[in-house]
Amino acid sequence: MTDAALAFHRRIDAALADVRLRQALALTTGRLAGGRTAAFAGLADSEACRDDARRARARAIARLDSSLDQFATAASARGCTIHWAETAADARQIISGIARERGIRLAVKSKSMATEEVELNEALEHAGVRVVETDLGEFVVQLGGDRPSHIITPIIHRSRQDVAALFREKLGATAEDVADIPAMTALARRVLRAEFLQAGMGISGVNLAVAETGSICIVTNEGNGRLTTTLPRVHVALLGLERLVPTAADLAAVLTVLARSATGQASSVYTNVITGPRRRSGGPGGPQAGDPDGPDELHIVILDNGRSRLLGTALSEILYCVRCGACLNACPVYRLVGGHAYGGVYPGPVGSVVMPGLHGVEAWAELAHASSLCGACRDVCPVKIDLPHLLLAVRREAAAKRLAPVWIRAAMPVYAAVATRPRLYRWAGRAAARLARVLQHDGWIRRLPGPLAAWTASRDFPAPAARSFVEEHQARKAAER
Amino acid sequence: MTTPRERILASIRGGLLRASLPADGDGRPGRHDDAPAAPAVREMAEQFTAALTALSGHVHRASGTESVADLIAGIARDRQAASCISWDDGPLGCAGLLAALASRGLTRVTYDVSGDPERRLLDAASLAGVGLGVTGAHAALADTGGLVLVSGPGRGRLVSVLPPVHVAVVEERRLRPSLAALLREEPDLLDAGSNVVIVAGPSRTADIEMTLTHGVHGPKHVHVILVA
Repeated sequence: MTDAALAFHRRIDAALADVRLRQALALTTGRLAGGRTAAFAGLADSEACRDDARRARARAIARLDSSLDQFATAASARGCTIHWAETAADARQIISGIARERGIRLAVKSKSMATEEVELNEALEHAGVRVVETDLGEFVVQLGGDRPSHIITPIIHRSRQDVAALFREKLGATAEDVADIPAMTALARRVLRAEFLQAGMGISGVNLAVAETGSICIVTNEGNGRLTTTLPRVHVALLGLERLVPTAADLAAVLTVLARSATGQASSVYTNVITGPRRRSGGPGGPQAGDPDGPDELHIVILDNGRSRLLGTALSEILYCVRCGACLNACPVYRLVGGHAYGGVYPGPVGSVVMPGLHGVEAWAELAHASSLCGACRDVCPVKIDLPHLLLAVRREAAAKRLAPVWIRAAMPVYAAVATRPRLYRWAGRAAARLARVLQHDGWIRRLPGPLAAWTASRDFPAPAARSFVEEHQARKAAER
Repeated sequence: MTTPRERILASIRGGLLRASLPADGDGRPGRHDDAPAAPAVREMAEQFTAALTALSGHVHRASGTESVADLIAGIARDRQAASCISWDDGPLGCAGLLAALASRGLTRVTYDVSGDPERRLLDAASLAGVGLGVTGAHAALADTGGLVLVSGPGRGRLVSVLPPVHVAVVEERRLRPSLAALLREEPDLLDAGSNVVIVAGPSRTADIEMTLTHGVHGPKHVHVILVA
């Protein structure tokens, strides 16, 4: 096994051994998945809605060069400054530069996976800018020097007692401040409100961008996304270059399924569409009649970081993804091991395609094996991405690059030779069944021999039935006669 | 020398030549172009009320400026709000409402966050203690209980997000079945202001142990006054 694969297996073992994590995962993913099912049941024609959303994304991606060019031109025309970041380092440098040139010391952030991807916070701290995460979950992650474990609900892995202890240690909270969850939430509001009112820069991601009007859309439930993009003088939005839809109607089509898939809500509390910085003179009423608030500057940083390369591979369909997290909640593997086990910024089925897609299959191929290819992810995807197909494509690429362990590479041609010769296959099957019956106990094999033991390290293998399928079938046919 | 913009766009073009994308990118935009008939206003008002109530928002009915002002003054009393920020009278769409509120003892704090960074911070800080925000709405969405707020002169963004209580005064004729229907009717709406926000109920979070809690950053209480 490669080092990356070994590390992955160690993280899985650690997650499986953590009883509290498993309880928390079962609660959170169960509730989110149930909420999603109920929300779609309330839609008149949910299949058609998912088809509409898929088409909206597919149309933008099919001509991504002109969609993106149109977006950038439209946004510039409305007063935005557009920056192009080919790599994560470029994005860090551009955003640090904007802060440095303006003498900004404090930045507030709303939740953004793209900024996690480019590790923006560390770079800004280096540039002398204090960065404050304002999404409640991300705030807790930041206070604890931790990493998010879910795209939508970042602190699945933390209990209320953990959060209370953290608030007492880092914020000097009193017992009353952390008496219950509403009290802790109120404390976070007070602490973060003060930061909002002082910050010179607001940093956000972008859920969706509209090519036609140069608009960016940021959805949040807490309202931190609105404060981040309204109070500070400068707003910087980091946009993954694939997050486009052609028109406002297409935005509506995706929004119809986005919140339902993420949290089971018909709509997020705040669907915030921003088109340019604050307008200085809005028309009639004289020189004073501009927008009374909003940022003076809006910088949109368009991030590639492997996306355009991914577009030219067998994985390109993953670029339709709108990062709702539904595939995490549906995945039987994620539901057991949680986000940290995956080791990357994007966990779950989507992460198992995005991580090797963006950063190369060499270090990330193993993730695609953490799937039974059951298809639950495809069934819940709001834009109907064929995730099992893409997971197989990752495995295929890894196989082509000879990344599998030597014994598997040696064994596969042997298996192929046996499986394509029916008599040999039946004989081998009988021999394996006989051996399995020796190894089994109460119908289960706890430990397979040789390198196969890796398979039974974390699960039991069912003992084969007394008769093979072919034998059973022949016996039934004989009985019918 | 090429710019990063040219290099990224060239890389995308190269990628598109090799991409293995399914065929859905061609063809017509989708079902959302077929417009169903809008239901009656009364029906939409009921649907809107049910949707917003389910989100812990409150819907009131009123007709005429005086009864709207009475309702808002009552909400301010209940929530112990002595002052408010608000949209200007014109965009509120309820003639004389600001004067009617002033006569009921509700002080209006005005602000205009200027370009000067220092002044801006001070102005924002002065809003910290304001208890109530009063807005109109461009539209109300029956299916989600959402309010569509378009920023512009006299229509500040902070009014609906900074104070702990948000009251929106909305004429019934502004009800629409859904966001999709609204955007069909007004395809250029997103460009009508620097900010178009759809607000569906009070601010909420469930980040800690999936426990629903209201008022984390935005208002804890959202009241909509539907005006006949």
